Amino acid sequence: MADTLPIVTPARHQPRGLRAVLRRPMFWLPAAVLMLFIAMALLPAPFAGIFGNGDPRACNLADSAAGPRPGHPFGFDLQGCDLWANAVYGAQASITVGVVATLIALGIAIVLGTLAGLRGGVVDWLISRATEVFLGFPFLLAAIVVLNSVGERTVWTVSLVLGVFGWPTMARLMRASVRSIRSSEYVLAARTMGLGPARIISRYVLPNSLSPVFILATIAIGAVIVAESSLTYLGIGLQPPAISWGLQIAAGSRIFQSAPHVLLLPSGFLAATVLSVIVLGDALRAGSDPRRLQ
Amino acid sequence: MKLSVKASFGIAAATMLVLAGCTATSDPATDDDVILRVAIAEPDRLVPANHFSSYEVLTAIFTSLTGLDEDGQLEYLQAESVESDDAVTWTITLRDGWTFHNGDPVTAQSYVDAWNYAAYAPNAQVNGGQLKNVVGYSELSPVDGSEPTATELSGLSVVDDLTFTVELQSPDRQYPFQLTQGQTGLYPLPAEALEDLDAYNSHPIGNGPFMLADDWTPSQEIETVVYEDYAGEEPTIGGVTFVPYLDTTIAYTDALAGEVDIVAISGDQVTRAEEDFGDNFYALDAPGVDLLGFPSDDPRFSDKRVRQAISMAIDREAINDAIYGGRQIPATSLTSPSMPGDPAGVCGEYCEFNPEAAQELLAEAGGFEGPMELLFIGGWGQEDLFAAYANQIRQNLGIEDVVATPAPDFAAFTERVANGDVSGPFRARWGALYPSQQDTLHSLYTAEGDGNFGTGGYSNPEVDALLAEADAAETLEESYEGYRAVQERILEDFPVVPTFGNRYLYVTSERVTDLYSISGSPLLSRVEVSA
Repeated sequence: MADTLPIVTPARHQPRGLRAVLRRPMFWLPAAVLMLFIAMALLPAPFAGIFGNGDPRACNLADSAAGPRPGHPFGFDLQGCDLWANAVYGAQASITVGVVATLIALGIAIVLGTLAGLRGGVVDWLISRATEVFLGFPFLLAAIVVLNSVGERTVWTVSLVLGVFGWPTMARLMRASVRSIRSSEYVLAARTMGLGPARIISRYVLPNSLSPVFILATIAIGAVIVAESSLTYLGIGLQPPAISWGLQIAAGSRIFQSAPHVLLLPSGFLAATVLSVIVLGDALRAGSDPRRLQ
Repeated sequence: MKLSVKASFGIAAATMLVLAGCTATSDPATDDDVILRVAIAEPDRLVPANHFSSYEVLTAIFTSLTGLDEDGQLEYLQAESVESDDAVTWTITLRDGWTFHNGDPVTAQSYVDAWNYAAYAPNAQVNGGQLKNVVGYSELSPVDGSEPTATELSGLSVVDDLTFTVELQSPDRQYPFQLTQGQTGLYPLPAEALEDLDAYNSHPIGNGPFMLADDWTPSQEIETVVYEDYAGEEPTIGGVTFVPYLDTTIAYTDALAGEVDIVAISGDQVTRAEEDFGDNFYALDAPGVDLLGFPSDDPRFSDKRVRQAISMAIDREAINDAIYGGRQIPATSLTSPSMPGDPAGVCGEYCEFNPEAAQELLAEAGGFEGPMELLFIGGWGQEDLFAAYANQIRQNLGIEDVVATPAPDFAAFTERVANGDVSGPFRARWGALYPSQQDTLHSLYTAEGDGNFGTGGYSNPEVDALLAEADAAETLEESYEGYRAVQERILEDFPVVPTFGNRYLYVTSERVTDLYSISGSPLLSRVEVSA
């Protein structure tokens, strides 16, 4: 994490920083990898079918844990399903959970952070204490407890749980950047001109305070994808017949000793996605930090 | 001062290390010094008539009336003989000179008192049902739950110190098999046990080869040592320490490290275990069967052709090879192949993989609508097995929506099955308590059987009649014929899909040279060890 919080500059300065960021390989390389996985998540069929066997649920036990062969370059899992097709289809669940859970957390964080930062006083005190309480929950433990009591565990319920427990850090950051903007001259000017709070927030406060929390959210996507896989591996995340990298890693780990190749693809995809997201987030953060740009 | 204290601690620690080194490597021990460490699940209770899951400990500290020898033939242990002319009244004669661990002699009264206590409903002994064919059981434990009208089984009578008779409600030639070690409800109790069963539970006193060294503290190791005055065959080892584990994978790792000597493992660990343990991996033929049961209130499964189609859509051989490393036995009857008189192949074509015929049958029955959910128990290593079932049913029968869903644990599973909250085949199994088809068939396929919910509550008066006939058969061979007829009749209705005959799987440490076992369970007093 950053040793200092990014210094926030008014919105009009940002394009220059962003353009500089776009030129860096640390930005476009992970962005390209990520686009590839997002494309897989949106349209899995053509990607899965590249090698001619695109149905992830066409399984034959005779091929159980078999190695690569023509048409199946990465071999088969324990159930005799094609590993490539499954890994491609797995992108959807994992990335959806990552994005949806982060969006939920981001939504909560923006609302609460803005409220606390702008209002101050009792509201700020209440929200800050609530943030600390949520921050106090061990994230995985809380998720385990809640997911165990949720009846059916789908992409949406898992996302919801991860989102609801993932907002506190972002809310704190949001509150800090809103507070720093609250007393800036242009907000004071808007206020003296008699603009309503809704307009002040949407026109002046939000545009200038969002970028740090967006950057943190980008990094959080990676963390959420990892959390989803961990929970699924522990048997309390997604359930079959969903197809996700976490499920494939869990199933593969049971036969890892005799057939190590079953773990290669799902764990490789998972690592590549998470790494891309985090590097991307870091590049964006560097871009918004004038000291690091120079 | 401080310095010298530290130094002396250092010396003490070093000495202990040296001593530990001695006992572990040099100083060849005799067998009598070998204390085996056996991994178990935490016992619930240690009262033989009132426990669900403490078989390992109880079979070590008790000796049953009868047992089985290496060839699966009946042998007499605590009993000198168990005889009957008409298969209704059985005379049980005990061996003389046997004592409980507290020195009290084992007498006919020790049995009769224990059995009366177990059968008396207000005592709530969970294994009391093992006496239900004894005359008078219904007075002690009325079916409708009403007040018992007697406290003693009228079918039991003490002849002399070493002899008592048991009168059964219906003729049963299999009775001597019921007296083997699995039916713990039929173990004797010393007089002091019945005075205070709670105290007894914390320090059970048996008539077996091993006795508890200390009181039992739940979740602690249970140490047993050889009972010096044991009148039966002398154990090959000096004692057994039972180590409770919450998780078999931890026990497995401990076995690899030599921390524990005998560990039962689950089917999905086989491939790994064969590599890790080599000769110290055991797959023991066991009298258990795996089945798929069906919800009786779901009309989609009421046509037997649907159930037969599902059975024929499952490739048992392929699943066995892929999931179990070939270590279970694809079912061809309702009992395991190691069960005496098992009518192998009685299931016929319906237990053979034939996707075309399966699809035809399903089409004849009118197809299948809606989702099918296969229910199993989470955390018991059944995930891969049920994923494979689901894949095969989906692909081979062309049913689009087939999923395998785990229940969180065993209790949740039984609750859902008992409440009919299932929409597809569910996991069922029966591990016979004694090596007779009688146990499996009565428990699963009669209305009053303990495992009847696993077959969706199946019962049929014709089956009941055939069972009574087989139980009463004069010779073992005739009883085998009788049970074959029972199985044929049940399979005509096809209430369940038989999937696998069991092998119980064990890994042992290197010092166990032969895991002597009966009916798939190790007999600890006869386990061979190298010193």
